[in-house]
Amino acid sequence: MIQSGERDSGLAALMRQTQGGSESAYHQLLTEVAPLLRRVVRSNRGFLQPQDVEDLVQDILLSLHAVRASYDPERPFLPWLMAIARNRMADGARRYSRRVANEVAVERYPEILSAADTNKLLDDYDDREMLGKALQRLPRGQREAVEMLKLRELSLKEASAESGLSIASLKVAVHRGIKSLRAILRDET
Amino acid sequence: MSATDDVIRKIAGQASPVRPLPSPWLRAMLWLVVALCYAGVMVLMMSPRPDLTEVLARPEFQIEQLAALATAFTAAVAALSGTIPGRGRWMLLLPLAPLALWLGSVAWSSAPDWTGSGLQDVMLRPDWMCFPAIVAVGALPACLLVSMLRRGAPLTPCTTVGLGVLAAAAIGDVGLRFFHVQDVRLMILAWQLGSVAVLVALASCMGRYLFKWRHQRIQEAAE
Repeated sequence: MIQSGERDSGLAALMRQTQGGSESAYHQLLTEVAPLLRRVVRSNRGFLQPQDVEDLVQDILLSLHAVRASYDPERPFLPWLMAIARNRMADGARRYSRRVANEVAVERYPEILSAADTNKLLDDYDDREMLGKALQRLPRGQREAVEMLKLRELSLKEASAESGLSIASLKVAVHRGIKSLRAILRDET
Repeated sequence: MSATDDVIRKIAGQASPVRPLPSPWLRAMLWLVVALCYAGVMVLMMSPRPDLTEVLARPEFQIEQLAALATAFTAAVAALSGTIPGRGRWMLLLPLAPLALWLGSVAWSSAPDWTGSGLQDVMLRPDWMCFPAIVAVGALPACLLVSMLRRGAPLTPCTTVGLGVLAAAAIGDVGLRFFHVQDVRLMILAWQLGSVAVLVALASCMGRYLFKWRHQRIQEAAE
């Protein structure tokens, strides 16, 4: 009991410093609460895969960040944090059940194109030289987005980390890039 | 470095001073002051009812208006408390007593209308002014309160937004009674409180869309 009280007051002190704008206190606070949240999520949502647990922990941390002004420095920290965690776990459970309800397990995917159509599609875009030339004609931002996401098949998170661009900017850039590429390839052929 | 460590590093990198939100009671008081000022301006714009001094002296009018005001204030406190993680859920029940007093006082005084011979006349007379007038007087307080709510956490979005709109609609009804000559109790019960109920029900249904976690809104906008 005393330990948990001491722990709470320690975290509350870090949270107060965080509200004051201290980056190091914020980093320490988040680093200390992450394992605690992981334990809470695991004990409440034992059926989740480790990756889903991490997603949920990250979601709770982002939520904490979004509403950090709602913490009252005069009150204990852990009840505030756990209320956020419970809410995000409930939302996560709703999302999980929706996803499970919409997923269909299949052993083998049905063919959706005839062989001829598939080959035609490949022929259109398999001219690597033409594709390379068309890529060079794209603006730099669009070219990099297409290369990272479509050619190297990086995930949005990985591409964002590598380029320093936000996920939203990458989505816009790749969408515009593909549109421009289509127009260029259509003109060429 | 794990993905969570990376998220922690990024979040900590966005550290900036934030002012802790004042207590829900203080915020609700500030909101009430602004809302009453706006309602006062609306009453002046619509021109107060000619028999205002006479009506103000009636005890039932005073009780109803004070109960509506108390409902507005406690509903605002409850809504704002609902956005603070770790606060007791019992706070959401705060407006129940004043709301019961408000409904009860109007319903009680309308008893003669139910039993009297004029019931049919009363029920057949629609009063279309009530709904838009309550919306007009309550619009700015509602927008202000929703923007205040969005600074907190959407823990119970439907209830919170419903309470917020109850607060604003109660202010709307308080204002309406000052410029709209309608003293038939059953009409007040049906059209004025009915309008409040409809607005609260609509807002509660939309709560989940109006009030989301901020990072969820950003993610959805990006997709």
